[in-house]
Amino acid sequence: MKRGWITWDRTELPREAFETRLASARKHLGERDLPLLVVYTDIWKSNQGRHFSNYMPYWNRALLLIPREESPVLLCALSPRVYPWIKSVTVLNDIRPSPNPAQGLLEICSEKGWEKIGVLGLGQVPYDLHQQMRAGAVEAVDVSLPAEPDEWELSMYRHAAALARTGLEEELAVGVGVLDHEFTGRLERRFRRAGAEDLVVLLTNGQTAPRPAAGETLGEDFSVSLALEYRGHWVKVARSASTRDPVPVRLHVENLSGPYPYEPSDRLETQSILAVRFESQTERVRRFHGDTYWSGSEGLKLL
Amino acid sequence: MLNQQRLHQLTNLMSERGWERLLLYGHTWRKDFFRCLLNVNFSGPHAAAMVSRAGEVRAIVTDPWDAELIPPSVSVSVASNFAQALGGAAPQAVAGMELMEARFVAELGEPASATFDVEEIRRVKTSDEVESMKKAAALSDSGYQHFSRVAEEGMTEYELAAEVEAFLKRHGAEDNFMLIASGGTEVTGMKPPTERKLQLGDSVTTELTPQVDGYWAQICRTLVLGEPNAKQREAFAIFSEAQKAAEDFLRPGVNISDVARVQNDVFRKYGYGDYTGPKYTRVRGHGLGLHLDENPYVLEEVNYVVKEGMTLIAHPNTYLPLSGYMVFGDSLLVTANGCTPLNQTERKLFQR
Repeated sequence: MKRGWITWDRTELPREAFETRLASARKHLGERDLPLLVVYTDIWKSNQGRHFSNYMPYWNRALLLIPREESPVLLCALSPRVYPWIKSVTVLNDIRPSPNPAQGLLEICSEKGWEKIGVLGLGQVPYDLHQQMRAGAVEAVDVSLPAEPDEWELSMYRHAAALARTGLEEELAVGVGVLDHEFTGRLERRFRRAGAEDLVVLLTNGQTAPRPAAGETLGEDFSVSLALEYRGHWVKVARSASTRDPVPVRLHVENLSGPYPYEPSDRLETQSILAVRFESQTERVRRFHGDTYWSGSEGLKLL
Repeated sequence: MLNQQRLHQLTNLMSERGWERLLLYGHTWRKDFFRCLLNVNFSGPHAAAMVSRAGEVRAIVTDPWDAELIPPSVSVSVASNFAQALGGAAPQAVAGMELMEARFVAELGEPASATFDVEEIRRVKTSDEVESMKKAAALSDSGYQHFSRVAEEGMTEYELAAEVEAFLKRHGAEDNFMLIASGGTEVTGMKPPTERKLQLGDSVTTELTPQVDGYWAQICRTLVLGEPNAKQREAFAIFSEAQKAAEDFLRPGVNISDVARVQNDVFRKYGYGDYTGPKYTRVRGHGLGLHLDENPYVLEEVNYVVKEGMTLIAHPNTYLPLSGYMVFGDSLLVTANGCTPLNQTERKLFQR
């Protein structure tokens, strides 16, 4: 389900966190003499919008506008009927109905007299919006900001990873002999009741890589890959029920701190949240392990 | 998993349009253009299927685990740099181009968008697709039964969503899209679940949309905790009449704008015409298939002639001052002479 319980717990993520992040973006705008930073967000690609505002769309797409001198504005394709709820779970107060957010952006630029604006990851914006942005009288330039997570973010990732790890290991211990669909349902119930917004569960009995449940009974060597979103922070954990010592034969790295929940990476990027998974193989049975790490200046640290 | 009938349709389209190569793009949220040909539930974030006019199919995925899902008859490559992998593709047309990152399209030269053409092909379901839709609708029925059994006073909305989500996954759903609301006349729309606790007298609305074999079916129902009051019953009667009007009217050859109009006319008849516009509601239904919110939208301003084999939901969901936001709707299959509901759930104002 995309996406379940969306909330903002100010004790774990204070308003100060967002003010600090917005101030950092504005400082960058100042250095480049740009009046505005535009951040694209949608149901699946919401890491960046969440970082600055705690806005995570459950449907549709939006543009978050961060003016250098004013409060942020959300150009939102959702109905005004849900704006009170959006305001209750984000730092946003100015939400404007925008069935066509690119058009809304160009109108604001025209009103304000902004001729050149910054767009976070301009090349990664969906093609149709990108075309509209480039067709207007406003020059849109690419802005890349350091993706380094702050302490608040690391704390959220730690919580999410601990939640995923503990829950998965407990369910794994009683998973042998269970149908994969049933096992997936158990994870859904456990984690959603604990506040997870979304889960992606992949499983295998060792003949294939983990994949969506297909009606198989889980055997003694089964492995599970769990991607879990907790309050907008995605983590990944993989475990095998097998008691045999894993001997890695293949390694795969994913970046969790880019615009997507997770995307493959061909290197161990630093200042990033990474999911590292490895495959081991014994007597043609494939097993999978993995976890979520903070890749800082001192190397990988388990979150 | 490789839809041969769809491949035939696509190569015919390519011949008509003079395209040598057609690319079908999908990302993790919108897998539908990719899955309409290669129906595998990839993790992503990206996947593309390249079709040649001769009928050869080649796939590009970004996660090595996804490569193992691709049938052996299709060659597949794994690309951690998707933009680079698209570099040599040079398709003349792309379905799903509007969804692609702009930098990906830049790698493709200047292809035409095949999105509209492929959507039009997808609108009319093949017999296999109809079977998948029926399975998804049956699961939405049992999911709603579960919803109505477990909802109780004092339970939070998100706990209820967790119970339903677990049920649907336990019974084979790949995914589910669900919105919910609870309360009285103060409720103006549905949204994701909150920590609000259900109370006696609440209208609890939901739309459940489980996905089976890639296909989404939807059911909308309203449940009252306790005995429904007179206004809730009065509101439900209007919704029920409006939905029935759509179902009685829907058949091949009618315009989708009229499917919206006959629903709205019921509200107008009872003096609630003002509540059929965008201030209070989004659409009066929409297409269903490999995406859960397909065109055409059922709106009076949309001009589209209905065809046999289409699947859609008619739902007159809106706010009424009588009861607050209320929902009611079933997935429908357009048949030769009318339409048939894919859902079997009783059509009533549920009570618990």
